[in-house]
Amino acid sequence: MLLYGLDFLVFVGIFGIVALSLNLEFGFAGLANFGKVAFFLVGAYTYAVLSQIGVPFYLCLITAAVIAAAFGFVISLPALRLRADYLAISVLAFGEILRLLIKAEHGIAGGVWGITVSPAISLAGVSYRVDLLVNIGLVYFCLLICFIVAQLLANSPYGRVMRAIREDEVAAEALGKDRAKYKAQIFMIGSAMAGLAGGLYAQYLQFIDPYMFMPMITFTVWMMVILGGPANNWGALLGAGLVEFFDRGANLAKDYLVLPVDPSNLQYILFGALIILVLFYRPQGLLKESPIKTKALELVRYGRGVVNNKPGK
Amino acid sequence: MTVNWAQILFNSVITGSIYLLGAVGLSVTYGLSGFPNFAHAEFITLGAFIGYFVAEQLGLGLPAALIVAFLVTGIVGFLCYRGVFQPLAKRGASIIHLMVASIALGFILRYSIGAAWSWHPLYFTTTWSAFDVGPLRVTGLWLWLIFVAVGLAFIMHLILTRTKIGKAIRATSSNPELALASGINIDRVIWITWFVGGGLAAIAGIFRGADTQIWPMTGWDIILPMFAVAILGGIGNFYGAIAAAFVIGLAENVGVVALIAVGLSTEYRMAIPFLILIITLIVKPQWLAMLFRRA
Repeated sequence: MLLYGLDFLVFVGIFGIVALSLNLEFGFAGLANFGKVAFFLVGAYTYAVLSQIGVPFYLCLITAAVIAAAFGFVISLPALRLRADYLAISVLAFGEILRLLIKAEHGIAGGVWGITVSPAISLAGVSYRVDLLVNIGLVYFCLLICFIVAQLLANSPYGRVMRAIREDEVAAEALGKDRAKYKAQIFMIGSAMAGLAGGLYAQYLQFIDPYMFMPMITFTVWMMVILGGPANNWGALLGAGLVEFFDRGANLAKDYLVLPVDPSNLQYILFGALIILVLFYRPQGLLKESPIKTKALELVRYGRGVVNNKPGK
Repeated sequence: MTVNWAQILFNSVITGSIYLLGAVGLSVTYGLSGFPNFAHAEFITLGAFIGYFVAEQLGLGLPAALIVAFLVTGIVGFLCYRGVFQPLAKRGASIIHLMVASIALGFILRYSIGAAWSWHPLYFTTTWSAFDVGPLRVTGLWLWLIFVAVGLAFIMHLILTRTKIGKAIRATSSNPELALASGINIDRVIWITWFVGGGLAAIAGIFRGADTQIWPMTGWDIILPMFAVAILGGIGNFYGAIAAAFVIGLAENVGVVALIAVGLSTEYRMAIPFLILIITLIVKPQWLAMLFRRA
């Protein structure tokens, strides 16, 4: 049971990173990335291929993030000029093309049969539990870095530009913000985080194949962000925790409960219903959009307070 | 390698007919309601399963299966719009929220289907006699498919051009505000397109299922080619979607020959519509629509 809990924590950490990255793109900047899994896949396969030729794990992880970011940049050039719905469909199709490519080209990484990946940190002769703890340390270290980056981006002038682009990109452009440049940057940062998470995923599971990167992964991450609260980094993490928790719960229910409906089906039916209910009654998610905290804004608020309290005015 | 081009053309018509039936509803509802309905994939799947239920489990044959699947899935399509998308849009949901809602609704339908039937692939047991016409190998199922697809396309053409409701649909799709001001009940027009779109998707699902297999992912497997058809033909453009369905059917079947010729895996067949989709979106959406722009 403890091992199960630790395994759960690793998954929450990995998908927390992906949820944070989608939150940057969708929550703050309003980009409908329906191909998140593509960048996750790029990261995972980069890690797998590099680790096979003996590159140390930290370099593998960094390269996974960099290559995913490069993919994000290349995709962003044509795709980000598109409307939200066109962007969603084209990035979804891109992810599927990439998966077909990996599946059909046996030379890249085992093709349809998958590829085994060596773990990041392998200590000789330790128990599975210690191994899990090491993984938790690694994953949560990466999560912490991503969270700090996301928070800094959100609570900065950059974050205000992101929100401005989300709310009205033409107005943002009119105020001199190059929306194409900002969108490309956000897409690259988001893709880098997804790539990093992909690398962690590959080394943790120690085996990847193309069937592990179905569009379902993308939609699971969307559920996390919608449920937790778009444009709130804590919300993204909360969503990641909740969705993983329901996922595990359904797997446990399969073994311990007798239900008229197979829990693995019921789980997704409930997920779907939950998302629709959230969109109906609480579209801002469980945690509302966090107010921007920047020095300039605090000064403005504080200043206004001083002015209003001035006696005799 | 000798290539039987007549057969390839014929196969393109088969593929195109399924895409035509599957994509027309997607395209028209996309145009009228203003968002891509990803749950359209599940309309296709649902149709396949209802068709299987009627034709195989009840043993009533293909024509009955087509009619029942059309009606039931049409009603489901209408209910999806009336019950979820329309109220969401009235609450001011953004296009991204509507897309996410359609995926969520797709989950509900897909896994309900999985729970009601099963995740093991099902096959139609009816065997269709195959016979040769000149250089062509033809099966009865394919003749049925072409007959139904062409027949329904023709009926819809007649409805769109000759009837009052058809005129209302065309008016709404070209200018909703003006249609509303002219006293057209826009809501009713949109409901009808969701009903017919769902019904046509169901028929596509039956033929796709009979040609390959039936499982809860039957629709999702071909949703991206459907989007390729809708976008290449111009969103909301009925005639454009018909042309685009056959263009993509041809591209896929010729593409397979090309893939074999250059020594690539035929698994890339599915990548062909995806590539067409991406290129169309990036280069110029709706170029084919311009060919079919009607006064």
